[in-house]
Amino acid sequence: MLWAVATLTFLLFRLMPGDPTLNFLSPTFTDETRTALLKSFGLDKPLWQQYLIYLGQLLRGDFGRSFLQQAPVADVLLAALPNTVILTLVSLCIAYAFGIIAGAFLAFRRGALVEATAIPAALATRAAPEFWLGMLVLALFAFQLGWFPTGGAVSPGGSLGSLGTRLTSADFWWHLCLPALTLTLFLQGLPLLLMRATMLEVMNDEFIVMARMKGLSRWSIVMRHAARNALLPVVTAFALGLGASIGGNVVIETVFAWPGIGRVLVQAVQGADYPVAQGAFIMIAFVLVIMNTVADLAYAWLDPRVSVGAHR
Amino acid sequence: MKRLCLSVTFAVLSAAASAQEPGDAIRPITLLTQPQAAAPQEYQAAEVIADAWRKLGLTVNVRPLPGQQFNQVIWYERQRWDATTWQMVGRPERSDPDELTYNLFVSANAANGYDFVGYKNAEYDKLAQEQREELDLDKRKALIMQAQELINHDQPYGFEVHPFNVVAYNKTIWDPKSMISQAGIGIRSTWTWLNITPLGTQKDVILNSVAPPTNLNPFNISGQQGSWAAEIVWDRLMRVDPEGLPKPWAAEKVERPDATTVNVTLRKGMKWSDGQPVTIEDAVFSLVAPGYGDKAPMYKPFVGNIAGVEATGPDTLTIKLKKPDAAFLVSSLSKLNLAPKHVWQPIFDDLKNKPQTAESIMEEHPVSSGPFRIIKASLNQEIVLEANPDHWSHPKIHRWIMRIMPNVEASMGALKSGELNFLADYTGDPELLKDLAKSSPNIEVSQALDIGFKFIAYNERRPPFDNLAFRQAISAVIDRKLLAEDAWGGAAEPANSWISPALGVWHAKGIVDRVPGGNVAAAQKILKDAGFVLVGNVLHYPKGEKETTEPFH
Repeated sequence: MLWAVATLTFLLFRLMPGDPTLNFLSPTFTDETRTALLKSFGLDKPLWQQYLIYLGQLLRGDFGRSFLQQAPVADVLLAALPNTVILTLVSLCIAYAFGIIAGAFLAFRRGALVEATAIPAALATRAAPEFWLGMLVLALFAFQLGWFPTGGAVSPGGSLGSLGTRLTSADFWWHLCLPALTLTLFLQGLPLLLMRATMLEVMNDEFIVMARMKGLSRWSIVMRHAARNALLPVVTAFALGLGASIGGNVVIETVFAWPGIGRVLVQAVQGADYPVAQGAFIMIAFVLVIMNTVADLAYAWLDPRVSVGAHR
Repeated sequence: MKRLCLSVTFAVLSAAASAQEPGDAIRPITLLTQPQAAAPQEYQAAEVIADAWRKLGLTVNVRPLPGQQFNQVIWYERQRWDATTWQMVGRPERSDPDELTYNLFVSANAANGYDFVGYKNAEYDKLAQEQREELDLDKRKALIMQAQELINHDQPYGFEVHPFNVVAYNKTIWDPKSMISQAGIGIRSTWTWLNITPLGTQKDVILNSVAPPTNLNPFNISGQQGSWAAEIVWDRLMRVDPEGLPKPWAAEKVERPDATTVNVTLRKGMKWSDGQPVTIEDAVFSLVAPGYGDKAPMYKPFVGNIAGVEATGPDTLTIKLKKPDAAFLVSSLSKLNLAPKHVWQPIFDDLKNKPQTAESIMEEHPVSSGPFRIIKASLNQEIVLEANPDHWSHPKIHRWIMRIMPNVEASMGALKSGELNFLADYTGDPELLKDLAKSSPNIEVSQALDIGFKFIAYNERRPPFDNLAFRQAISAVIDRKLLAEDAWGGAAEPANSWISPALGVWHAKGIVDRVPGGNVAAAQKILKDAGFVLVGNVLHYPKGEKETTEPFH
């Protein structure tokens, strides 16, 4: 799988028109300059040689050097990865906690006014373009109210520091608020609708009928019996959502100047920085594969009816 | 007699008929540009110009191409395209007209260089070479004026506008009197960073950049935004002053005893940020290092004319040039950064057997001698510079912080909220910024005419753009005033030269009026006189000319 992604991204970027030297065009840019730069990037060699070198480097765990940032690709990606993981995890946790509770509640109140209002609202935030949503959040909370900063991960002149420093820095969390809010608004629709739909299905199952016949309270039936069983697809969606969001925060990271993988990827594609773009895609594919596996294992663990590798 | 009259009448009638006889219809013309989202003003200008060309009977398709593909086609597929929008941006070293005068239009640069339109004119080549070698200012000025008149006649480009640089700052934090506007650059200049004076306790300039710099080292030209930092971190022997003229900087004195000799006296008492003194060996090294093999390709062209550099005393050096070069003080001595030999010589030695170039080196603690020092270079987030208190021209601020903010609207909001106090990189609608200043009395907007210009490049390798009258006609219908008002929202001036009116000494005054902008009737007359024929509403080549060029796909 990872080999296929590595090969596809290698070919994809080389099939695109242009090369990294186009970023340096100016009246003083000569053919000699271009040749020297291509040589320094290793792009003067035939394509098959570049491919073999690239695969050899990958096998050694070496992603190469960034053309634009002139640093090892692994360093560039690892510097950005924690910011994306924190943004994604925080947003996903809030979105799924909210979505599960709200979804269960809406199933519980099926047909009520609150359901008729909440479902279109959830669909609208889910369907709204992230850029537009981000700009609305910025306009309200940063420009008008001035409660939060407009971008970045730390105040001017501040330092991100280590992961531990970041996690204990009030300044970092303050800067995280608006991008996390936007991502949460964007993500909450899926768990909410999924939870509601599954709940409605589960509420008709025989064990719920049995619980009613036992005379259990409606709240107890919904939260202790129905919700637990309805959680399974939501857990799967969470794991897959985590994988997808690692590489899918491009728009939000750009709107809020959040220094994560999404921004690194955009700059790499714009600047034909092949090594960084390739490395980012491989990393995203790796995270997706891992999270798919985690989802499968979690499903099997949560639902005894599903087993791994056993035939009954 | 009767027979003679009949013959003459027949000949006249035949000539008249053949003058109206058309050649092939001109193929659909493709006008390339960037996508509207990436360059809204250029895109709108392309649409306006395409409409004007259609009035001449041309079929014109406006075709936006994404950035990389756009550059690839224009630069490396020179036989393929018809016409394109393009721009030259303003830089301090372009205060001398030589770089653009020589590189843009000299025929030697047509194959692979910056004469990407393939313009060839021996008379122009001669003028460009003469101005380059002429050290007498008045004589050189006359040559530059002649060159502008020649280009006005030949119209290798359809010049559009010289844009304004629009920036804004918080005038309750910074003293407006301390802003220094540099000719063709505006107040976002090195001179402002050196002179900007705080009115209160806030002593950090916090500015924005839409794009991140690629690297910061003395041998890397780090793009437009990166160069703002590089210019104040590394000293140069000379600097372009606010009037656009070269002025000794790290050099105490610069003399030119003859056309190919430059004597430099280094300023005394300068220090590198690691505490070591700046020596004459460092200065010699900085002038020769870019020429070492192919290890500094970006800066190599700036030392291409240097035959040799020799230290002639503890504080003096002599540069010998291969050929006379009137612009050398601006294009080379005001461009090359002073780099510490004790740091960079071992790096160059180490690079000898490696594929990397010096541009790829990212020092952990960059050593420099300029008015600011790098204390943080997180290229995707922010660059933080600290004032160098030991510098002989030390700044009045504490830190210079450049935040990388790709979202222009967010940058404008950050200026309003106080997160930024200098909006240095604004690519949005100038009117929005002016509205912001009206509603926020602490914000001051400043605009200055740029050295750069926007234009339509005609590919002279492809008919009918190789036809002088055709180029004159399609330039004549470009309504430059309309472009400046509508496409650029009034933040631009009409152009008809590559030398901006911001460079008053070199600009040919009144040249913009020597092309009849927006004049369809004049353009039609030029075409008719040259034998082009309008059949129905389709423009045809003159008689006998075949359309053999494939349309752009």
